[in-house]
Amino acid sequence: MHAGQLLLRKAGSALLTIGFVLVLNFFLFRVLPGDPARAGIKDPRMTRAAQAAIHERFGLDKPVLPCLASLNPLRRGPCLVNPLQTQFFIYVNNLLHGELGISYHTKIPVGQLLRARLWNTAVLLSAGQTLAIVLGVAGGVLAAWQAHTRIDYAALIISLVAWSLPTFWLGLILLFWGSRYAGLPIGGQLTPGLAAAGTWAQFTDAARHLVLPTLTQTIIYLAEYLLIMRSTMLDVLAEDYILTAKAKGLSTFQVLKDHALRNAALPIITIVALNLGFTVAGAVQIEAVFSWPGLGQAIFESVARRDYPVLQGAFLLLAVSVIVANLLADLLYSWLDPRVQAAL
Amino acid sequence: MRKLFRLLLMLACGLLAACTAAPTPEPPAVARIGYGGSPDTLNPGTAVLTEAYTIFALVYDAMYTYNLDGTYSLGLAESVDRSADGLTYTYKIRSGIKFHDGQPLTARDVAFTYNLNKAHAEYPYMNPYTASMESITAPDDTTVVIRLNAVIPNIESQLVFQYVLPAHVWQAHAAGAAAVEFENETLIGSGPFKLLEYKQGEFVRLGANKQHFSRPPKVDEVIFQTFGNPDALVQAVSTGQVDMITELPNAAAEKLGKAPNVKVVSAAPFAPAVSDIIFNQATSASCPSKSACTGNVALQDRQVRVALAHATNKQQLIDVLLLGKGTPGLTLIPNGLGMWFNNSLQDYEYNPAKANKILDDAGYVPAGWSDGIRCAVPVCPYGSPIMNFRMYWPSDSVDAPRMAELLAGMWKEIGVGVQPQAIDPDALTALCCPAFDFDIMLWGWGSDPDPNLLLNVMRTESIATGSSETGYSNARYDALYEQQSVELDLKKRQALVWEMQRLVHEDAVYIIPYYEMQVQAVRTDRFTGWIVDQNKLDLSDVSSLVNITPVK
Repeated sequence: MHAGQLLLRKAGSALLTIGFVLVLNFFLFRVLPGDPARAGIKDPRMTRAAQAAIHERFGLDKPVLPCLASLNPLRRGPCLVNPLQTQFFIYVNNLLHGELGISYHTKIPVGQLLRARLWNTAVLLSAGQTLAIVLGVAGGVLAAWQAHTRIDYAALIISLVAWSLPTFWLGLILLFWGSRYAGLPIGGQLTPGLAAAGTWAQFTDAARHLVLPTLTQTIIYLAEYLLIMRSTMLDVLAEDYILTAKAKGLSTFQVLKDHALRNAALPIITIVALNLGFTVAGAVQIEAVFSWPGLGQAIFESVARRDYPVLQGAFLLLAVSVIVANLLADLLYSWLDPRVQAAL
Repeated sequence: MRKLFRLLLMLACGLLAACTAAPTPEPPAVARIGYGGSPDTLNPGTAVLTEAYTIFALVYDAMYTYNLDGTYSLGLAESVDRSADGLTYTYKIRSGIKFHDGQPLTARDVAFTYNLNKAHAEYPYMNPYTASMESITAPDDTTVVIRLNAVIPNIESQLVFQYVLPAHVWQAHAAGAAAVEFENETLIGSGPFKLLEYKQGEFVRLGANKQHFSRPPKVDEVIFQTFGNPDALVQAVSTGQVDMITELPNAAAEKLGKAPNVKVVSAAPFAPAVSDIIFNQATSASCPSKSACTGNVALQDRQVRVALAHATNKQQLIDVLLLGKGTPGLTLIPNGLGMWFNNSLQDYEYNPAKANKILDDAGYVPAGWSDGIRCAVPVCPYGSPIMNFRMYWPSDSVDAPRMAELLAGMWKEIGVGVQPQAIDPDALTALCCPAFDFDIMLWGWGSDPDPNLLLNVMRTESIATGSSETGYSNARYDALYEQQSVELDLKKRQALVWEMQRLVHEDAVYIIPYYEMQVQAVRTDRFTGWIVDQNKLDLSDVSSLVNITPVK
C-alpha cells in the first residue's frame, strides 16, 4: 500500500475513534449517580430557586435527549422537544466550536483549565519518561549483552522488584525519604512566593520540585523498558547476522548499535508510544502524592465533584493522546520495518 | 612592596564598604500554612469550599467578627441601633476604612453587597443570609439601615459571613449571570490581608494590610499551600517546609506530636460539626403524603431509643474511630456552638444490662424465630416484625462503615440486629427526607454559629419539607422553637434553646456518638502567638494570623 494511503487510512480510523469517544464521554459521566448542582453544596438551606438557577446556568435543566430528561436516575421526559435544545446537541455543538464548557466547580472555562494542567503534566512526564527510556534501553542492552552474568541477574531482580512496586507507595516512600534526608520539597511545582526571585532561583527551585516525582516515574517505567529491551535484544543477538557482524571484526559497540539495536527497538517503540498516551492518565497517582497540579489531579478531584465538563474535556484529551500515540507508533513502526508496511 | 600595597588597599576598601553599606534588611516574615484543598473560586457569592471561606475571612471585613469563644463583636460597624419593634437595624460604619486598592469603604459598599447577595438566588450560601431582609439602604456614607420582614434573634450570624465587597469593582458585574461568572481574580477587600498571588490548586499568597483599622497583622505574608494528600501535609510540617497544617489524620497525631519543634493541638472546631445516628420515628399519622414511611415501628417507641442509647458505648466509638480526638455527644447542637450548647445534660450511661432491662420491662421479648433478636412490638404475636434495623450511611463517609460494625456488635448484646449498607449520598437523600424509607442512618451536619438551623431540623413543620430526618414531632418543642426565633434577649433565648435540647435528649431523638475535635499541628520554632487556649480551635483563623510573630 502506498504510504499516503496508509496515512489516510490510519488517520481516518483515528478520527472515527475520537468521534466515538466524544459520544461515549457525554453519556459515561451522566450515568454517574448524583446531581452536580448539589455535589459540592451540602447546605440544607440551599433553596430550590438556587438549585434551579445553578441547573439553568449549566444547562442541566434541559433534557439530555428527546424523551430522556436525565440518565441518572433514568427519567423519561417529553419527546416533543427541540432537539437543538438538548444537552447532547449543545455539547456537540460547543465541541465543534472548540468549547469544552465551564467547570461546575471552579467556574472557569475547561479549555483554559486543562491547558494549564496539561502543560504541568507534560513537564512531569517528559522528564520521567525520558530518563526511564534512556536508562531502561541502556540497561536492557547491557543486561542482554552480559546475559547470565551477575550484571544481568542484578538488572533482572531490580527490574522485577521495581515493576511490582505500587506507584502510590513508592511515591510516598520517596517523599518521606527525599524530604527528610535530602531536604527536597514535598509538593507542588514551585515554592510559593518565589515570583519575585531571579530566573535562576526559580529554575533551580522548579528542578528540585521535579526530582522526586521524576524519580518515582523513572523507577516505575524503567523496569518495563529494561525487561522488554533485554528480552528482544537476546532474541536479536542470537541471530546469524550478529554472528556475521562479530566475525567481520566489528567492535561490540558497533555490533550493538548498528546491527542489534535497530531491530530490537521495534517492540520498545510500541511500548513507549502506548505508554506516552496512557501515562497522561497514569500520572494521577504521582500527581496526587506530590500535589502536582496536573491533569491527573484535575481528574481525581473532578470525579468526586461530578464536574462533568472537566471530566469530559480531560477524558477527551486522554483519548486523543492515546489515539495519536497509537497512530504515531503505527507510522513509526512501518517506517522502521518496511515489512510491516508491505503487510498492510 | 607593590603586592603589600595592593593588599592594604583592598583591606581598606573592604572596611570602607563594610562601614558604609546599609544594614541588611530583615527578611520578610512569611508564615507558611499547609492545607488539603484550594478555593474553588474567589467569588464569595458562588464559592462553596471551606478553603475559599478561610481566605475570604482574611481578605474581607464584615459587619461583625465571629470570635473563637463563640461571641460576636462589631467589625466594620462602630455601633448598632435596633428599633423598638425589632424590625429595623441601623448600623454606623467606621469612617476612614480603605479597600486594598486605596478606595474608601463606605456604607454604600455594605448596602451594595447585601443587595447583591439578596438579588442572586444562585448564591448558595450568601443568598439565604438575606432571606429575612426586606430592604437594605445606605442613606449616607456611614449609615446602613436594614429593614427585616420578621423579627429574628440572630442578625449577627446573618451578617458575619456576608463579606463587604467594593462596589466600584463589582458594579460592572452585579447584574444577571455576570454576578455568577465574575472570577474576582484581584480579590480586592479591606481585611487584614490582601491577595498577592493566587494559583488555583497550588497556593494563595497573602500580604499584610498593616493599615487595617483593628487588626493589622504582625507578619508580612501568609502563604496557604495545597497538598494533595494528608501524609504530605504531615511530612511538610515535620520537616519544617510549612509552619502550620490545618488538618491531619488522627492516626498521625501521636507520632507527629513527638517530632522535634512540632506541637499538635486539638479542640472543638471553629466551624461546628456533628455526627449523628438517626432514628426514623415517622408514624403513619405524621407521614407526609406521597412518602413511603417504612420505618421499623420499634423506633417510634422512646423506650427502645433510650435502650439503644444505653447500649451505645460512645467512648469506644471515639477511641476506635477518632483515636480519642472527640468528646461524647449529647444533642444535635454541638459543643462548638459555645453558649448555645447545653452542657448541663446528663447523658445516658453505657450500661447494656440496663438497656436489656428497659426492653424486657417494655415487653420487647426475643422472637422465637429470629435468633435472639427482639420483636419490634411488645408481647410479640407470631409473625411480628423484629428489631433488625436497616442501617444506611452515605458511601462517601470514611468513618461510617466501622461505626456500623461497632454499633452492630454493641446492640447485639441487647437483642437488636442491624443490616448495614452504604448508599450513594444522593440516593440516600432520596430515601431519607421526606420519604422516611429507612430505619437508621449514620450521617452528620455542619452548622452555622447560630443554632437555628439545627433546631429547625427537629420541628414538626420540617417533616413535610424534607428538613426533618427523624420525623420527630413534639408540640412543646415546636412552641419553644417559635419563642426562641423571636427572642431578642440573649440570655432568655439561651434558656429556651437549652430547654429544647433537654427535650430532644430526653426523647432520645438521635444518638449523637461524638463531637469530633479539630486537630492541627504547628511548628514551635518559627512563630509564636498562635491562639490555642480558647474553647475552639482554628489556627488559620484571622485571630491567630494577625497575632503571630517570628520567633526571635
